[in-house]
Amino acid sequence: MGALREAFDFSDFPLVERVVFGVFCAFLLAFPWLGVDSFGMAVMIQFLLFSLFGMGWNTIGGYGGQVELGKAQYVGIGAYTVAVLMVRWDVPYWVSMPLGVLIALGYSFLIGYPLFRLRGHYFAIATIATSLVLQDLFTNWDFVGAAKGIELPIKGTSLLYMQFTDDTWYYYFILAYFLGAIFYMNWFRKSKLGYQLRMIKIDEDAAESLGIDARWCKIKAYAIASAFVAIGGSFIAVYHLYIDPESVMHLELSIMIALMAMLGGAASLWGPIIGAAILVPLDRYLGSWLGGHKELMGLDFIIYSAIIMFIAAFEPRGIWGIVERFRGRRG
Amino acid sequence: MAFLEVRNLTKDFGGIVANRDVSFSIEEGEIVGLIGPNGAGKTTLFNCIVGYYRPDGGQVIFRGRDITGWKPFQTARIGIGRTFQLMKAAGELTALEHVMVGAFLHQDDREGARREAMEILSFMGLERVADLYLTELPLAIQKQVGLARALAIRPVLLMLDEVASGLNPTETEEMVALLKRIHREKGITLFLIEHVMEVVMPISERVIVLDGGVKIAEGPPEEIAHDERVIRAYLGEKYARGL
Amino acid sequence: MVLADAFIQGILMGFLFALISLGLTIIFGVMDIVNFAHGEFLMLGMYTAYFVSISLGVDPLVTLPVCGAVGALLGILSYYGLVRYLLRGPMVAQLLGTFGLMLFLRYLAVFLWGIDYRMIKKGILVGKSLTVGPFHLDMTKVVCALLSLVAFSVVSWVIFKTRVGKALRATAINREAASYMGIQTERMNALAWAMGGATVGVAGGLLANFYYIYPMVGLLFCMIAFATVALGGFGSIKGAFVAGILIGILETVFPILGHLLRTSVIGPQYKMTVVYLVYFLVMVFRPRGLFGWEH
Repeated sequence: MGALREAFDFSDFPLVERVVFGVFCAFLLAFPWLGVDSFGMAVMIQFLLFSLFGMGWNTIGGYGGQVELGKAQYVGIGAYTVAVLMVRWDVPYWVSMPLGVLIALGYSFLIGYPLFRLRGHYFAIATIATSLVLQDLFTNWDFVGAAKGIELPIKGTSLLYMQFTDDTWYYYFILAYFLGAIFYMNWFRKSKLGYQLRMIKIDEDAAESLGIDARWCKIKAYAIASAFVAIGGSFIAVYHLYIDPESVMHLELSIMIALMAMLGGAASLWGPIIGAAILVPLDRYLGSWLGGHKELMGLDFIIYSAIIMFIAAFEPRGIWGIVERFRGRRG
Repeated sequence: MAFLEVRNLTKDFGGIVANRDVSFSIEEGEIVGLIGPNGAGKTTLFNCIVGYYRPDGGQVIFRGRDITGWKPFQTARIGIGRTFQLMKAAGELTALEHVMVGAFLHQDDREGARREAMEILSFMGLERVADLYLTELPLAIQKQVGLARALAIRPVLLMLDEVASGLNPTETEEMVALLKRIHREKGITLFLIEHVMEVVMPISERVIVLDGGVKIAEGPPEEIAHDERVIRAYLGEKYARGL
Repeated sequence: MVLADAFIQGILMGFLFALISLGLTIIFGVMDIVNFAHGEFLMLGMYTAYFVSISLGVDPLVTLPVCGAVGALLGILSYYGLVRYLLRGPMVAQLLGTFGLMLFLRYLAVFLWGIDYRMIKKGILVGKSLTVGPFHLDMTKVVCALLSLVAFSVVSWVIFKTRVGKALRATAINREAASYMGIQTERMNALAWAMGGATVGVAGGLLANFYYIYPMVGLLFCMIAFATVALGGFGSIKGAFVAGILIGILETVFPILGHLLRTSVIGPQYKMTVVYLVYFLVMVFRPRGLFGWEH
């Protein structure tokens, strides 16, 4: 199928990038055999997960140019669907995950329609508001465990429920999603919707003059982003085996996702990955170091926010933007 | 049945009546120009036709269909293309890719869109700039790319918004020649709003003149150039009487 | 009776909300930027009142000018240190930038003062109540409401009646035209931030008299401010006032309603949800708010 061919076709990237990517993939595949400790493994899993989130966010936030700060609600939808279905009715992961994605898609179309009447700041604030509303609702809804959250029953090692005792399995699981996401995004940016979205970002009026229904395109991109993120959420449920509104639907989660994509370079394939590669280890190592120094609490976010402000002021196109600038491509 | 018919179009912006009761029609295959002094309401009229604004009164009828109040993407889809006075050029898409976006209206895959886009760029003699980013191109070429992009949606009526603004005399001549070719070889009806007389007068078969939101004259360019009301609108009372 | 009581409380809080939102709407009106860090300015105003009153042993009300000064300083520093650069960039950058500022200030507070809740316990107003007819009102809240009203009026007077204020409004209405008339727009920007910061700083000082002081309090009031500004109309001062009162009433009456209707679905835990919903509904159905797009 043409789409599949397109997904694997990286020929329009410079050779250097393709080589680096290839080496990186080899590294990722071999990683568990390189003798890292469990903390390092956990960091890598987190990195792959957040790359997934970032790439998803990128469809609407990067290529679409609509910065949205409400992704956490979809993480929650994905995670809770899997968790609730498993706890209550013993539903296997491979049934509950697609269901979670469908719910995420449905919900995103539902609120996307009114949301995309807004632009810019208003839109961003509205996305925050919707995420907070959903978080509030979940915190008070007994069916999903309210504030206490849900603890998933332990099933040992099971492919049906996607639970494992050995982290290595989880690693390859998330790696599969990660690679899938890369190929999908590679297809996406060359697809009709991808081009239309990029035109909308540059000049929405011009896009409309070319027959593009801007609002509908944005909603579609938003829905795709939500699906990505919901898949990541479903992973969190079976990995952590415990979820609550605070951990999966937190506003800070939405911020981190958007931040990673923007730091690395929104609107590029590699950007979210680069951003995650920097921020996830930073967050984890800083977090564990700070854990031992209670009096320095807050320092981690002070650093992130300083990074955010710096990037916003001097290179809004992120690290990848800096790379491109070096190459002489202007924005 | 006229190709494009505007009937009693009125648009007011909370007190300022930008267009009042404007009526005219365009036949298929014509080249029609719209002129008038600053603030005459040309841009408003243009935007009411393409759908950027919704008229407060009157109708716009295209090929027998009432398209009054239709949104821009809807009018584009039935064959009304438009160019922009200012091209927002950001470094993210090459000239070819800009035109491809237009081509995507009638194509579903990248290869088809690229082929069609390349054809149009070749037609306009712009093959060499295909892989350059718009920001790297001079204004005149940018505008030509904008024209190519509009052509990619296979319009039957092309509305040109101040297509010559910012161009020097040589570039303006080139643009006029290009427009004539497009009209002749592609059979597209052209409707231009313009300030630059060197563009409008040589190629229009008919010219419509607006002033203060009202249509004050209509006819072939030679007649319009000597019409007292038109001269008065542009140059003021003194000059008109002086004739 | 309980309802009427809540209603009055709502109006009192409303004056304060109006003052809090005033700064946000001024900044937006003059330069089209949404200050995500607005709540954090408020929070820092609160901490200022707390620390100054404790260390100097004075009544918190006396600290109000200091709160205002701190707020103004924050505004000016934010403008010259960050916002000025953000203006050159795309909207995305502006959003991100003030967002970063929000996080920065919030976690700076966490870092400096920890996450513990603090409360001002000494002051002429604290703990006293006022009885007006059948209503028992918290003295603190009444005075704060009145002072908010005074502050709001002062700022409005400055904006509508002084030359500087006129220059500010001119810049808000049409930036280019204002610069042609010789108004230095850079200075106007900084002034807007200074005024915005000062007003919300004072609001913080007032709020500190009866509300918990902790680093995260900014988020709560930030959303209230956004909802208020959205409802009133971004950039409208009159709107900020009216909407502030409406939101104040909504916020206090809503939980009571649930109690009266004997449902637990409508309850205090959804107080903020209602505010978010208001924002959302206003933006979707009437983006310009009540008095939007005017000054």
